[in-house]
Amino acid sequence: MTLVLAWSNVRANRTSLAATFVAVLLAVTLVGGSGLVVAGAGTRDELNGVMGLLVLSAVVSGFVSVFVVAGMLSLHVLRQRRTWALLRSVGMTPRQVRRLITAEALVVGVLASAAGCALAVPYAALMSALMRMTGLAPGGIPVGITAVPFVLASVVGVAVTLPAARVAARKAVRVGPLEVLRESAAQRRLLPWPRAVIGVVALAGGGVLLWLIPGLQPKNAAPTALGATMALCVGASALGPVALRMLGLLLGAVAARLDPGAGMLAGSSVVTQPRRAMSAASPVMLTVALACTFLFAVATSDAAAGVTRTGEAAWAAPVLVGSAVVYTVISVLNATAMTMDERADEIRLLRTVGIGPSQLVRMVCWETLIVTTAGTLLGTGIAAASLTALGTALTGEPWFAYSLPQYAGLVAVCAVSGLAGGLVSTRGARRGALLAGSPG
Amino acid sequence: MDDHAVLLEGVTRTYGRGATEVAALRQVSVGFRRGSFTAVMGPSGSGKSTLLQCASGLDRPDAGAVRVAGRDITRFGEKELATLRRDQVGVIFQAFNLVPSLTAWQNVILPSRLAGRRPDPSRVRELLRRVGLAGREGHRPAQLSGGQQQRVAIARALFGRPEVLFADEPTGALDRGTGHEVLALLREAVDAFGQTVVMVTHDPEAATRADRVLFLTDGRIVDVLERPSAEQIGMRLGGRR
Repeated sequence: MTLVLAWSNVRANRTSLAATFVAVLLAVTLVGGSGLVVAGAGTRDELNGVMGLLVLSAVVSGFVSVFVVAGMLSLHVLRQRRTWALLRSVGMTPRQVRRLITAEALVVGVLASAAGCALAVPYAALMSALMRMTGLAPGGIPVGITAVPFVLASVVGVAVTLPAARVAARKAVRVGPLEVLRESAAQRRLLPWPRAVIGVVALAGGGVLLWLIPGLQPKNAAPTALGATMALCVGASALGPVALRMLGLLLGAVAARLDPGAGMLAGSSVVTQPRRAMSAASPVMLTVALACTFLFAVATSDAAAGVTRTGEAAWAAPVLVGSAVVYTVISVLNATAMTMDERADEIRLLRTVGIGPSQLVRMVCWETLIVTTAGTLLGTGIAAASLTALGTALTGEPWFAYSLPQYAGLVAVCAVSGLAGGLVSTRGARRGALLAGSPG
Repeated sequence: MDDHAVLLEGVTRTYGRGATEVAALRQVSVGFRRGSFTAVMGPSGSGKSTLLQCASGLDRPDAGAVRVAGRDITRFGEKELATLRRDQVGVIFQAFNLVPSLTAWQNVILPSRLAGRRPDPSRVRELLRRVGLAGREGHRPAQLSGGQQQRVAIARALFGRPEVLFADEPTGALDRGTGHEVLALLREAVDAFGQTVVMVTHDPEAATRADRVLFLTDGRIVDVLERPSAEQIGMRLGGRR
């Protein structure tokens, strides 16, 4: 019975589940592939010089994987509260609900991990080829099939999915059956205390690292700066809803001024549902913060050491961090699609009170832009803090190297994938039949 | 021109295809006069909601014409329909009528905002006071009771002074007392502002508030009663209720 329900649940929440599946699949590919590259490089002595960079980029991949998968699952869970409350109201016991959620997560986790492991091998071969081209590893990296990377990747796939689902299940069971009728009650508490504690601890940890960096050896400063960025990302993501409510008020006011109808709707939606908005802003923040820290840390180190990279060699750092960026950009698309998809009813309602087709498109775009801008601002702030500390360690002055075109490109890619996710997922609700189509 | 706010001419609406085909409306022709209050009744599946959806432009009939203020809306594109909905037609459903992220005040002025107008604040305040929501202008739907939400929806529908207001089971999700208040508001809109109201309901008592009651069965209008009593309606509905 549980399996039947789990299956029909899977079918009913296709968008959300597909997004989660893709997130886990790509995470496993990324972690497994990076692991294979590192393991391959370990067999060659002449690759010792780039080993540090390879490990660092693998760590970045692992971090974004865990971060994105956990975020995607919590979004998936948030969306399903109504379904579970409904099942409770027709007599499902808390135990059955817990089993249902675990079964669903297990199916997704195992299937996506298996597929991800299979994709990890061609991905590692591709990375090896790219590294030969940029001159990072002129002799290439031998990619052999070793067990450890696959085990690691599956751990990310299953061991992150399952506990996250268990936590979510515990929360879901606490939801009273009546909450079906009071959707907003679920979001009334902006910052539950565990979340606040995690946020404050992570921010404090990041702050301590930032304070330590200027006193470190140049060799250790760059990895520590990356660690500081990761800690700050976790903290900002946990405390994000508060920041997003403020940024939403500010940016929403601007949007409402430029476009009174559609802008007002977009702004108020971010302000009243800052947690939902944060789920979409988080990957943007992560992309901007991590990519900027990685790229400009390499640039700053090079500048401090008087190295100038030209031609293909200039692409070494972008290639290393590239797959992590592609992954987070996909998750921007994913998260925006999920948060917008759940608005289908609201969009139909807006159509019945006379919102025009172009206004609806503008509303979706405004909301996506507000969320993307908020994520970009947070990410930029985090990267700037880490890079300033790194620059101080390397040159003694609060300075760092950066490339405006790379930064602008990064932000543009985030914005475009957010807009694509928002517009595609609302297409049905924006254009389709206004009514569910039940004769009566 | 005639004084019909809405006029249906030979409207047919069919759902599904082939063996599963269901005719929800068959060649229905009916007019709703300006300033009249009409109730539409019938067993479930009789096509009463479809009638309202076709008349309000929410659904497109397969054949026939629907004239709102003389213009056939079945030929309208999405954009013209949007303008129609924000200016000429107000719709109230059983539930989920309000945008959850907007306050009562913002919900009321939403259609005029979408039309690019600057609504007069004193009119908004006056209308919200009239529907009994003074002091709750800044509340969001989740902070309001079902009856209060429905009154915000009525205020929103009335604010644009539409040609016609459609209500689909507006009291269906409310308790008796609250339902009565909502019906009194609809009646007042007809008597005080000359508003045209068309209401789908299965509650005979709600229907007694109307000037006229249409009875639908199998997609056809089978009877019309003028200012009926609850007994007459009960008798007409037969043993079903």
